[in-house]
Amino acid sequence: MAALGASIAYVATSGGRFADPGAGLGAIGLGLLVLGLVLRWPATIPWSILLVGGGYLLSREGNDVVDGWAAAFGALLLLAAELASWSIEHDARIGAERSLTLRRLATLGALVVAALLVNFMLLATAGVAASSGVLLAAVGVAAAVGAVAVVLRLLRA
Amino acid sequence: MTRWATPKLAGYAGLSAAGLLSALVFARPELVALTAPFLLALAAGLALATPPRLRILVELDEDRALEGDEVGARIILESSTAVDRLDFYLRLPDGIEVRDGKNPVSLHLAPGERRELELSLGAARWGGHVLGPAYARARDPLGLLVWETVAATRPELRVYPREDVLRRVLQPRETQVFSGNEVSRHKGEGIEFADIRPWAAGDPLKRVNWRASARRNELWVNESHPERNTDVILFVDSFAEARSGDEGTLDLAVRATATLANAYVGRRDRVGLIAFGGILRWLVPGMGTVQLYRIVDALLDTQVVLSYYWKEIDVIPRRTLPPNAMVIALSPLLDGRSVGALLDLRARGYDLTVIDVSPVPFTPRPASGLDSVAYDIWTLRRDALRHRLQSAGVAVAEWRDDTPLQAVLEEVREFRRYARHARV
Repeated sequence: MAALGASIAYVATSGGRFADPGAGLGAIGLGLLVLGLVLRWPATIPWSILLVGGGYLLSREGNDVVDGWAAAFGALLLLAAELASWSIEHDARIGAERSLTLRRLATLGALVVAALLVNFMLLATAGVAASSGVLLAAVGVAAAVGAVAVVLRLLRA
Repeated sequence: MTRWATPKLAGYAGLSAAGLLSALVFARPELVALTAPFLLALAAGLALATPPRLRILVELDEDRALEGDEVGARIILESSTAVDRLDFYLRLPDGIEVRDGKNPVSLHLAPGERRELELSLGAARWGGHVLGPAYARARDPLGLLVWETVAATRPELRVYPREDVLRRVLQPRETQVFSGNEVSRHKGEGIEFADIRPWAAGDPLKRVNWRASARRNELWVNESHPERNTDVILFVDSFAEARSGDEGTLDLAVRATATLANAYVGRRDRVGLIAFGGILRWLVPGMGTVQLYRIVDALLDTQVVLSYYWKEIDVIPRRTLPPNAMVIALSPLLDGRSVGALLDLRARGYDLTVIDVSPVPFTPRPASGLDSVAYDIWTLRRDALRHRLQSAGVAVAEWRDDTPLQAVLEEVREFRRYARHARV
């Protein structure tokens, strides 16, 4: 909730023409997430992320400059989704070992850092080769992510 | 092993697809930046997901315990592949509780690692308890896929009822032919002095009462009561019970039956068992420690089974109820079938004692007017039923949980001392 709240705060303070509607949309997403956490309903997580992401996109409407903070914003959304999933699936009756909790935290931290790095590379590439278009950027992202997956799979094997 | 995808997998896939398509439609690089982390999580999670090859074993330190004892359990978890997060749960039956240790537990298993989890289980209630099944749920590092399995290992723990200490038990009116601890009413070879009579041919010299002979100027001999064993039939009514929380009338009856069986077997008496209820169980009277184990084992399987079948005492095999046996019935007197069977036994001349395991403490008196009147009528009808049994010559005593069993037996003893024998 804090991660999502920080994302909404960023949207609200971005100063765009549609910053307030964007923040409002994000607030609806945050409310949905709270509802999902209370009701332990994991299906609400993607929808709340979608609403906050939509709010961010709305706040960027009319601004042609690529936002460098989008990299952190994306990583923050992932962090919010992961922590929300953890909260919903957490069962106080199950006694988790301390090493397992630390391992999960380390995995989550590594994932967020990796996401941040990928996003930075992506936005840097988009800034350098803006003419090549978003299609190529998306294909590049997919290829990079696929390469990471293959490496991880090989390491696991 | 069953595999299924978590809602997270579908959610991340949906977000990734929506984000990339939107990026193409709106031509905004920021949208790709918002989507890329979820795509990365999806790819990494699926790449790292490996089906676990688990081996689960549950072992108990003891397979028999007394009520209130602690029994150690060892759970062995082994996997040839890495299991990033394993949730394990051993289902415990009612009457078995965890005193120390974690159940359920969540842990990590490295490839080839073997983990042994120690649990300290408390045997809270008597009975034959089957532990398990054991459930295991493995997840990949990012929680996108879940594998579930149920282990076949199901150890059994037999918990015997804790017995009270009895200073003395009820003495049957009639004895049997074998030697035992009960002084017979008949005359024969024994230690207990009974009477004197004139000497007859064949009487041994050691039995001559010289003082009486000197006074009468002829030989008189001592007569004695022989020490004989008795037949005791323990009759447990399992048609119905009153229960409140973890305690019920059947629990009290089973504990008292085990206590009485132990006491009578210790006196070299032959003890038999009849569990009269939805499921009829019986044990032909026998002597010794083996018979005691048989009785307690049979008691562990006693439970209240709902049945509308009208059973009478005729369904019990004839050998189970030998002549001159004393029958001690432990019943809450809630079911008409068991009451009818007890009256039938009395009518057949058996020396019958009924310990009324009172259901009243397990059924609180209602506060409202009509219900409380009904409750009072019910308790009055119970009093009337006890009186009816007493009128038939049956020694009846009401036993409540807070009263020691010995006190109830003493109450029965007093009744038996002064009550007249009656036929119904």
